Amino acid sequence: MYKPFLLLIIIILSIFIYLWQQNTSIRYAYKVSRLQSEYDNINSENDSLKLKINSILALEKMDKIAKEKNLSTPDENSIVYID
Amino acid sequence: MIKNMKQIDRKILLTLVVFIFFFILFIKLILIQIFLHTKINTTVEKMINRENVEIAKRGDILDSKGNILASSIKKYNIFLDPKIIEDLCKLKNILSKNGINVKEKNLDEFGKTSYVPIAFNVDTKFVDKIKNEKLKGVGFENKYIRQYPEGKLLAHILGITGYSGNGLAGIEKSYNEVLSGNNIVTKNRRDGRGHIIRDKFVDKTKICGQNIKLSIDRTIQFIAEQELRKTFEKYKAKKAICIVQDPKTGNILAMVSLPDFDSSVKIKDIEILKNSAISDIYEPGSTFKIVTVSAALEEKKIKLSDVFYLENGRYKIANHTIKDNHKIEDCVSLSKALEQSSNIAMVKIAQKLGKENLYRYIRKFGFYSLTGIDLPDETKGLLKDIKKWNALSLPTISFGQSIGVTAIQMINAFSAIANDGILVKPSVKYIEKSDIKTVENICNHKEIRRVISIETAQILKKLLKNVVDFGTGKSAKIPGYTVGGKTGTAQKFDPITKTYSLKYYIASFCGMVPAMNPKIVILVIIDEPKSTNYYASSVASPVFANIAKRTAQYLNIIKDD
Repeated sequence: MYKPFLLLIIIILSIFIYLWQQNTSIRYAYKVSRLQSEYDNINSENDSLKLKINSILALEKMDKIAKEKNLSTPDENSIVYID
Repeated sequence: MIKNMKQIDRKILLTLVVFIFFFILFIKLILIQIFLHTKINTTVEKMINRENVEIAKRGDILDSKGNILASSIKKYNIFLDPKIIEDLCKLKNILSKNGINVKEKNLDEFGKTSYVPIAFNVDTKFVDKIKNEKLKGVGFENKYIRQYPEGKLLAHILGITGYSGNGLAGIEKSYNEVLSGNNIVTKNRRDGRGHIIRDKFVDKTKICGQNIKLSIDRTIQFIAEQELRKTFEKYKAKKAICIVQDPKTGNILAMVSLPDFDSSVKIKDIEILKNSAISDIYEPGSTFKIVTVSAALEEKKIKLSDVFYLENGRYKIANHTIKDNHKIEDCVSLSKALEQSSNIAMVKIAQKLGKENLYRYIRKFGFYSLTGIDLPDETKGLLKDIKKWNALSLPTISFGQSIGVTAIQMINAFSAIANDGILVKPSVKYIEKSDIKTVENICNHKEIRRVISIETAQILKKLLKNVVDFGTGKSAKIPGYTVGGKTGTAQKFDPITKTYSLKYYIASFCGMVPAMNPKIVILVIIDEPKSTNYYASSVASPVFANIAKRTAQYLNIIKDD
């Protein structure tokens, strides 16, 4: 007597699970998209910052600043090599 | 009865209407599902599926200490699609607030195009700001822009890339395949609002080009460039070259060619891209004498104790007179002949050696062959076939005339002497320790051939030391270190008069520090110095001394003097 009722429940449950996983996969796909662009942005910002550091520390610029500040090459005896 | 009939009619009518309604739906369903499904599917697929080209980031170029010398950063071009712009006035206002001005006053002025670029090379933050305004008809295309944080430093070694990102010169060209990476196409889906739905995460680091680490040390490069530029500007020279090499491994630590260029700025004259250090041929003059002496010593045609008669400074051969520039004694030892750079002594040594032997050693030292350096457009120099040598070929070649060499060949020949007679392949790419375990293995890996014996190399190093201690190379001395080297002042050949010019010279000095156990070999060439004092001892040797002093300090080379 309960058999048709049970079958109906199983069918409804199956449909529900199917719809639920479809919905979940789409939600995750959106999340992946968001994370991908976030990851790409962070990566490119990281590259830009690394480049900026290297630009700031460019030897020609450092030399120019040192000259502007009247800095001179230290006496050879006052150089301590750390290694 | 009639009432009942009417009720039945209504029921039938209602049933009929419902039936017809469902029948029409059924027909429509059949039409859609069976006859139109392909067309509809294709349209929907087109609407939701998007193919996206993921552009690979070009690999970075690093110096031997890991400093970035060239890198690519993501930039955007912003464009308008006039066909989907809804409110041009509003769009123009918002864009102008962000510093982008659109000239067109109405949509018709754009014409039929769907692509109107309005801003170039803007960064991600700026693009995000515009994106947040949610403007219809504004598009973004990303690309990578090559940047060189050190500016002009290493311009000739790094080279340049073209608009498409391919290397056109220097390392960018020779290692283009390694640096480029692989663009990939990813398939994504788009929802009704245009949002991309990705079904997988793309790790772009895996498609990126590989980084290249160079043997160049940017500090040594900076030292060489700074010192060379001073002399280049002081003497208003046509060109100037400096190379610093590690003689054991053949690694190039610095390579400068002046005039130079800024890789980040658009190049107008392609000629300036030519790296003179590997592409220009010059007559070496007296620096080439090391080849003649090495060959004669190795072949045991002369001894260290030999004495040479200098013919009172004028030596006649085949109706030509070979002269010595400096007044030297009547008879000199081998060491003195090299110290005072006697042409006549070299001719006499070459005559003892013979043309076959001299030719063989010229080739053994790597002249008239490509060194195999990993930079594009290397030339092999000029040397007449031995069968075509005339009576003057042997004597003139012995002191560095009638032969064309490149700077890289010359320093490599000096490095062979510094490296106890072994010629190694020069390179600008750093060999990772993980690839090759020991320094000895690096040497074996790059060894080309043994040119002279250890004993001959030791004698040569001593002779070169004497040149700096007592001879023409005195101005190359540096405090705390022994230096070995050779000056060269070569007259330039004038193609118009077809004689050697008395106006234009090439001053060069090639030397090693410390003299007997060299850690670095440096070559300095100044092309056409505009001065009455054009001699290498005045023009090139002091540059060598300054570079050698600062480099030795920087590399912490142990003092030996």
